[in-house]
Amino acid sequence: MTPAEFLPELRPWVENLVNVWPAYVIKPQFASWQVLHILSLVVLGGCTILLNLRLIGVGLTEEPASEIDRNLRLWLNLGVVSVLITGVLIGMANAERLYDSAAFTVKMFGLVAALIFTYGVTNRVARSDGAVSLSSKIAALAALALWSYALWVFTTAQLINPGMFHLITAAGLVVLFAVRGRARWIYLAGLGLLIAVQWVWTHLFLAYDDIARLDPVNKGFAWAFAAWIIAIGLHQLFTAGRDQNAGPLTKLVGYTGILMWVSVAAAGRWIAFA
Amino acid sequence: MMRELLVWLQTRLGKGDGEFDQSWSEALLGSLNFWGILEGTHVLALMLFAGTIMIVDLRLLGVTFRRTAISVLGAKVLPLTVFGFAIMVLTGLALFYARPVDYYHNIWFRAKLVFIALALLNIIIFHVRVQRNQAAWDLAPKPPPAARVSAIVSLAAWIAVIAMGRFMAYDWFECGKPMPAYLNALQSCAASEAGALNLASVRP
Repeated sequence: MTPAEFLPELRPWVENLVNVWPAYVIKPQFASWQVLHILSLVVLGGCTILLNLRLIGVGLTEEPASEIDRNLRLWLNLGVVSVLITGVLIGMANAERLYDSAAFTVKMFGLVAALIFTYGVTNRVARSDGAVSLSSKIAALAALALWSYALWVFTTAQLINPGMFHLITAAGLVVLFAVRGRARWIYLAGLGLLIAVQWVWTHLFLAYDDIARLDPVNKGFAWAFAAWIIAIGLHQLFTAGRDQNAGPLTKLVGYTGILMWVSVAAAGRWIAFA
Repeated sequence: MMRELLVWLQTRLGKGDGEFDQSWSEALLGSLNFWGILEGTHVLALMLFAGTIMIVDLRLLGVTFRRTAISVLGAKVLPLTVFGFAIMVLTGLALFYARPVDYYHNIWFRAKLVFIALALLNIIIFHVRVQRNQAAWDLAPKPPPAARVSAIVSLAAWIAVIAMGRFMAYDWFECGKPMPAYLNALQSCAASEAGALNLASVRP
């Protein structure tokens, strides 16, 4: 689903965006604005990771979540505002490409979901040290509905679906950081086994250029990895760290907050690849 | 010497006997999705690596987490940074391996290496010199000037590394294009396949 398929009548307007101020001013310095966009992503990402990991019960556990939120709020806002401004600018200068990009659809739906979730759920939950209010639950449902659509496009659109690798990997890492003790070793052993079986299957039993048969096998393994990561993540959600003032719902907010932004960034990168 | 090794890496290593067989490096660059997955991971891991190192630097500058001990922040945040750095290095080496000769003659790549070296040197100086009396300012809302200078150098160097990394993808100063002699020299264009074309020699 590309934006052109949603809004076909907008094409003349989109084609002209590059001639509109400020697009024609920034076009010659496109690469420098990309750098600013990435730096904004870094600021936003660092704050999101630390705040949400704290909600999961990992990282800066010496401080209550509200203290983390208080310290990171300014920087998170700065990251969000500058990622939006630089995004609009480079988007205007590159509008035609985005108009025909399914990855851009994923990015925009994911972005709105992530903004609603960050300001309607994550920040509020952190401020109240883990309590999830009714209004936060409603905001979470709205964000999850938008995100589900974004992920559906991401998984089903041709050429960009390999970008889901980033989301699965990020989920895998967050779970790795979160699980402790024996569960962590069982988790790693499961991942190692899946990697080994996938490698043997796709390298020893199938030819490297036999795409027609490799494709369903690799997709099947993507689902298997996701299922294993979710299973161990759920285990962590309901068993670990009950004494840390973080119930299952609070932790789920933490996981979702990180993964929503990762999906936005991953889709953003795959605009260039497909 | 270095260039010959990289040419061998890019064009010979892993190459079969057939006329159209690819080296491993060429196969990686021409892969359907693998190169994109590596590059995407390299960029996304910046959130983990640079995002967390930035927060530690901001604490050293005294602009955030002023009530949290620097040792506590370091103990809890820096393991994430190191993990992110490992991902950056692994994916970065693999991406370099896909086009080693091109990057060898790329001015931005060379500058990136210089800034990475600067950032790493800064870390060493911080650990060996600046941190020696950290107990005295571990809880200080605003650490002493030496620590703040370390933080500024760190922020500036990593920002430069990220900028150089993005610029590497552009061919503004590709060898063979007319450019000032010092740019040709800085990226050893004379040794490159396309050669060095000095701007002064093509001007009427």
